[in-house]
Amino acid sequence: MSVISFLLDGFATALAWHNLLFAFVGVLIGTSVGVLPGIGPMSGVALLIPVSASLTAGLPPEEAAASAIILLAGVYYGAMYGGSTTSILLNTPGESSSVVTTLDGYQMAKQGRAGTALSIAAIGSFVAGIVSLIGLVFLAQPLSELALTFGPAEYFSLMVLGLCAVSGLGGRSMTKALLMTVFGMLLATIGIDNVSGVARFTYEIPVLYQGLEFLTVAVGLFALGEVFKTIHETGRQSGAIAKVGRVIPTRRDLRQSAGPIARGSLLGFFIGLLPGAGATLSSFFSYVLEKKLSKHPERFGKGEIAGVAAPESANNAASGGAMIPLLTLGIPGSGMTAILMGALLMYNVQPGPLLFSDHPKIAWGLIASMFVGNLMLLVLNMPLVKLFAKIIETPSQYLLPIIIAISVFGVYAVQINTFDLVLLVVCGVAGYFLSKHDYPLAPLVLGLVLGPMIENNMRRALTTANGDFTIFLSEPLSLLFLLLAFLWIALPLLVRKRGRQVVVSEEY
Amino acid sequence: MSTRFDRYSSVVFTMIGVFFVAESGSISASAYGSKVGPNLFPLGLGILLILLSLRLFWEASRKKSEQKATPAVDHRRLISFVVLTFLYAVVMEWMGYVLSTSLFLFCAFWLMNKENWWKSAMIACSFSLLVYYIYVDGLKGTLPGWPAWLN
Repeated sequence: MSVISFLLDGFATALAWHNLLFAFVGVLIGTSVGVLPGIGPMSGVALLIPVSASLTAGLPPEEAAASAIILLAGVYYGAMYGGSTTSILLNTPGESSSVVTTLDGYQMAKQGRAGTALSIAAIGSFVAGIVSLIGLVFLAQPLSELALTFGPAEYFSLMVLGLCAVSGLGGRSMTKALLMTVFGMLLATIGIDNVSGVARFTYEIPVLYQGLEFLTVAVGLFALGEVFKTIHETGRQSGAIAKVGRVIPTRRDLRQSAGPIARGSLLGFFIGLLPGAGATLSSFFSYVLEKKLSKHPERFGKGEIAGVAAPESANNAASGGAMIPLLTLGIPGSGMTAILMGALLMYNVQPGPLLFSDHPKIAWGLIASMFVGNLMLLVLNMPLVKLFAKIIETPSQYLLPIIIAISVFGVYAVQINTFDLVLLVVCGVAGYFLSKHDYPLAPLVLGLVLGPMIENNMRRALTTANGDFTIFLSEPLSLLFLLLAFLWIALPLLVRKRGRQVVVSEEY
Repeated sequence: MSTRFDRYSSVVFTMIGVFFVAESGSISASAYGSKVGPNLFPLGLGILLILLSLRLFWEASRKKSEQKATPAVDHRRLISFVVLTFLYAVVMEWMGYVLSTSLFLFCAFWLMNKENWWKSAMIACSFSLLVYYIYVDGLKGTLPGWPAWLN
């Protein structure tokens, strides 16, 4: 079958009425979550994994996985969009990728053009979603065919490259990021080793045999961690919320932002493909690019519409682009995609080159749902933007305890034991203190998800080579990946030694 | 203040690394049909973790403590929330979902804001009842029911 007919099948999956409903619910919840202070896209998705599991409980396994992932992807896009809403209306970015949006977005809001900024952000995200959809359609098949030729040695090295890339860019201190990665992989070794069946670090404690559950750790680190942070810091007062005003953009606004949206989408997509770079960096780059290209660079920072359109399209395109390594190679390149991958693994779906042949329904359904989800965002957000602005005012007195209650409910609903609840609280406290002191959490989650896969591939490669470690260097592709990984770590160190400022992504 | 945390945490991570290295000694060093045993990966990672922690310690002790403008913090509120959440986690199976959740939410609302406790109690009870009945009766999920000692 050709790519197009697969895609049409995907649309058939995504447009089934229950999946439309899931996409709608996902986008709706995602936007609310993104708008709410204190929960970002990552904790939003982590929180909703268990909810999606229970919502899809009645469906056959394959369909349940497709629906759940459609719901979660909807939450992801929705939360990204919700984050921009707060940066425009409140000058407080919901997540790091919309920091740049505050520069011009809040200025526009002050001039009474908040509605225009919001709708341009939605239109930009929609266009970007379509660009990354087209990219996915064309790249998915060739990339997964390439990945099928990989042996365990290549896989091992490619995953090492992914981890190094994320750690190299993931925060202020590379040492801390690497430390978190290694720690995550170590935590993943607890439980029964799935190559030899030997129990490791379990000490005859029954709950440890299945290992530390990824979901519990992710919800604890991200959702509870953020709640504890908000509880601890009392001094923060949010400013006044700007009036939304006219929502429909004028023809002039559209003309001015068409170019920035197109450029932002393309740039964002390609940056998103790279592991570790992600949404933050792409929004930053596209803003700088627009400022360079603009005839009136002095208008940036004073409410220029291009300064909202470009970064918003770029960060959305990047989140679409980040799906490509996840779906085709099975390697998540960011904390967010690591969480989505954990969700897929929970449904016994292994992302990677075989995904497209083993579970075409899920793979193409997800791709099609990206389109549907973005369309829904557009349709939902233009009329409802005023309602979402109201959500910001939810009193935190009720909000924070309810987030804790939902986390506990979610983890218990999936795990059904007290041990995971205690682990959840421990991870919450650890997550708060680690992120407070600039230890990035995304590499930890990435290590936890990738650890077992890296180990399997490493041991398979070593077994075929009779324990000879040079196999990773003698396979040309594997050598290339390892070299790239080394460069990714070494170059920033060299640049820093020379005293130059290194652009650092702070996507947690 | 930031570097002090880094020094403490590097010591903790070193200890974790040493633990994993030492304990991987008791895992089989070979597997059937392979020279590579299940001990290799945790052993290697443990060593890496120790090396990285030493580097972190070195970085932290070299760097001067920088005073960051930190937002006002409320230690008591954080500690009471953590303790409360922990208690909630531990007693949930024993007390049942509805009772423990209502109690947890009520106490948490009260910790956040002492006014309006009547409204808090209403929200706490309706949230837990709603979640319980939708999830258990509607979606056929599993949550700890009403405690045995109540019947």
